[in-house]
Amino acid sequence: MSIITEVIESTRAIIQGMSVTLSYIPKRKQTVQYPEEPVTVQPRYRGQHLLHVDELGREKCVACFLCAAACPSECIYIEAADDPRAPEERTGVDERYAKIYNIDYGRCIFCGYCVEACPKDAITHGYNFELSVYNRADLLKRKDDLLITKQVQSKNYRVAFSDEDVDSEWKEV
Amino acid sequence: MSTELVKVTINAKDFQVPKGARLIDVCRENQFDIPSFCYYADLALQASCRMCLVRIEKMPKLQTSCTIICTDGMVVTTQSEEIEKARRSMLEFLLANHPLDCPVCDRGGECELQELTFDWGNLEERFIEQKNARAEKYLSPMVANDPQRCILCKRCTRVCDEWMGEDAIEAGNRGANTVIGTYGGWLNCSQCGNCIEVCPTGTLLDGTYRHQARPWELTQTISTCTYCSDGCQMSLGSRGDELMRIVARDRYVNGLNGEFLCIKGRFGHPFVNHEERIRTPLIRYQKGGRLVPATWDEAIRFTAQKLDGIVAARGNNSLAVVGSPRLTNEALYCLRKFAAEVVETENYAVADAFSLKPFFESLGGPLATHQDIRHAKTIVLIGGEPEELQPLTAKQIRQAVRNGGAKLILINSVPIRLREQAAQFIHIRPGTENAAALALAGNADDALAARKMGVEAAELEILRQTISETQGDVVLMFGGELSAEAQAVVAQMPYTFAGEGRRILLHPLALFNNSVGALDLDVNGKSVSDLLDAAGVSIHAMYMAGSLLPEHMPKCGLSKLDFLVVQELFETETTAFADVVFPAASFAEIDGTFTNNDGFVQRVRKSIEPVHQSKPDWLIVSELAKELGVDFGFERSASAVFREIAERIPAYADLRYPLLKDESHPLQVKHAIASKRELAKEIAGIRRAVAELSDDGVKVSETPQVGHELFKLGTLTDKVPQFHLLAAGNPTPASFAISPLYQITIDEGIKREKAVA
Ligand code: SF4
Ligand code: SF4
Ligand code: FES
Repeated sequence: MSIITEVIESTRAIIQGMSVTLSYIPKRKQTVQYPEEPVTVQPRYRGQHLLHVDELGREKCVACFLCAAACPSECIYIEAADDPRAPEERTGVDERYAKIYNIDYGRCIFCGYCVEACPKDAITHGYNFELSVYNRADLLKRKDDLLITKQVQSKNYRVAFSDEDVDSEWKEV
Repeated sequence: MSTELVKVTINAKDFQVPKGARLIDVCRENQFDIPSFCYYADLALQASCRMCLVRIEKMPKLQTSCTIICTDGMVVTTQSEEIEKARRSMLEFLLANHPLDCPVCDRGGECELQELTFDWGNLEERFIEQKNARAEKYLSPMVANDPQRCILCKRCTRVCDEWMGEDAIEAGNRGANTVIGTYGGWLNCSQCGNCIEVCPTGTLLDGTYRHQARPWELTQTISTCTYCSDGCQMSLGSRGDELMRIVARDRYVNGLNGEFLCIKGRFGHPFVNHEERIRTPLIRYQKGGRLVPATWDEAIRFTAQKLDGIVAARGNNSLAVVGSPRLTNEALYCLRKFAAEVVETENYAVADAFSLKPFFESLGGPLATHQDIRHAKTIVLIGGEPEELQPLTAKQIRQAVRNGGAKLILINSVPIRLREQAAQFIHIRPGTENAAALALAGNADDALAARKMGVEAAELEILRQTISETQGDVVLMFGGELSAEAQAVVAQMPYTFAGEGRRILLHPLALFNNSVGALDLDVNGKSVSDLLDAAGVSIHAMYMAGSLLPEHMPKCGLSKLDFLVVQELFETETTAFADVVFPAASFAEIDGTFTNNDGFVQRVRKSIEPVHQSKPDWLIVSELAKELGVDFGFERSASAVFREIAERIPAYADLRYPLLKDESHPLQVKHAIASKRELAKEIAGIRRAVAELSDDGVKVSETPQVGHELFKLGTLTDKVPQFHLLAAGNPTPASFAISPLYQITIDEGIKREKAVA
């Protein structure tokens, strides 16, 4: 092959490649300017857990340990306790409540079994996904980090509407 | 049950079964599963749950297999569409009023109702009517109650009546309004908690472990109780480093006690993780100074130096070694070895309340096991109060009388509660128990014995006659009231009374969990009070494992010692005199064995790691021995200690830990049986002592209160808050809705008064 054909061939390849690249420039962007711009997450996204409360602000969790039993990575630790106070003054909806409720995010695989197991709809997955920490011990979140009334929600996400098609582009390929 | 066999056909298979066998048992033994709630072996029949329905040929309707006795040629079907339908409908009825609160129910996960609902329940509930809601409440500091969960199987009421003889818990009202409860709403019983244990649902629950853990989280370790000499088998449920609860549910353990436990066994465990446990070795460098925390190395070195010094200056016998009947055989053996081989002192004793040495030296027949007591035909109880001190023995006696038709002869100075079961109650004057031994030995001294005891001579005649006319087993029991001579006489009674078709079994009512083991391992059987009397005179240092009993305390002479070492769990009145205190591990943290009053050697197993820096008692002694130049060579292994016990102590020959694995077949120590011998000397001695008693002592006519011994606050039970309520007379709280612990503050005054009494 002569040097001339080589130059022609490679120029064509560059043009071909660049044409694909350039054709995407006018199209809608896939990248998000995170963190300046919020990330859109699916409604069923499984982020950091939320522990819910009822209308009176009492924790819904009754410390039945079913989430801990269902968890395949054994990252939930609960200690139950008795709350002898009158129903309105209680911490939880029932006499039995979780004195300690820890999730170790160093182990959690975000499978959602705990949510599935909960008979009281007390635990769900939230959307917070920024879980990186400087210290591994900080991956252990306590009840106060998980309670819906106390967990600080990140400004960096937006939940998609249920009919919004967020990632169909990816399904095509 | 006779040995005659009858033929039954179950699901087209033929079986030969003993005549009189119960159908439900036969089916289960042959692996045909029959669900049941109300059937409970060895309790009166109830037949109310109707889960056990089977089809029996030639019988009009489905039959409850729990009430049917097998007859020859019976043809039974346990599985068919008809039966399945019936069982499913029965379960649907049982669940009609059952709340769906398994997530908060402490029974969830080990609930019989839950399990059978898995097998026989329907996916959906058809009853949409309002449920009969009833609030949760407490029945006593120990028993929590959620009446709505009840399925009215009445196991609790039957157990309370037949096992405990208390009738404290009963069914009230009728029909759909029937509810299990108690008169006045507050239980004033012995708080054994057996109703909790047998309840197949979450109706009756452990009030001390309420809402704390779920059963599947707990590691279950089978072990032996650390309180009385009955040696109940129990399951310690621990989570991490914490002992959470104790149960005897037979799914975890199947020992000599079945599902029976008493208040102490079941609820008396919070001392294990109590914050007042001694955390590190403590040294008092100066008499009158403070106990200062030290490292193990430092404490062992300090102790070794001091002991060495005292022995060098004053001779080997100036050091005494004192064990406790609460320790394991391993610990007692190491102590004895320490005394004999390291410091070579003759002064070794065990701080027990009374010694059974004379009894075991004259032992003329086998010891009665609890199984033997249950099936005995005559039971003679001299002194003692098993309801309070050996509750399992009391339960076996009650069942023997109630379900087995046994005759109970009670010889006691107090009309104890067992009197209700007694066929003959020989009500004697206080302090005249020894005269009963005289009466057993023969009629020569009847006039004297009857006069001193304050009874008719004829009563003693009946006593002897009943024993010698019995067909079956006779069990002779006695408490700590008997003198050494009287013990020897009772121990020889098998030679007097045994005959054709009649065995005489003996059952000493020792006080502590390892009283019998401590005796087996004792070398010269010195009494601890003698050693204490010699304190400051010929004994100048003491090495103690465990504290002294309160009765030894008043004139204990410990203050006269130059040096006192104590191994303990808590700071006690004894450690107040100590120069060095070693933190010992409790029964839940060690491996070992206890020997109970049946002579059974039973395993104690480690449920949690030793708390803080504590170590097993035997290990502490071994380490000290090593520092003093003698290596026991046990290498931190309790089983190595036990192997040496088996080699050196004839009664324990051939026993090994692996052989003790199965708690349902405990092994008995081979206590040497003494041959028949002349008792004239002993009898003369008793006669002399009895003759000196007064003729007109006043008899006690009042039945002692339930719990007067059980609820007493000791070093261990003091750590259970609920015990303080009971010791203060179990006051009824203002509201039953929450635990009385949250409502009543115990007045220090009441508490002390009770504790001392
Ligand atoms: S999401 Fe899965 S791994 Fe994470 S806590 Fe729940 S059950 Fe465990
Ligand atoms: S309380 Fe429990 S044991 Fe008693 S009748 Fe009800 S279900 Fe049966
Ligand atoms: S077990 Fe037979 S009726 Fe309940």
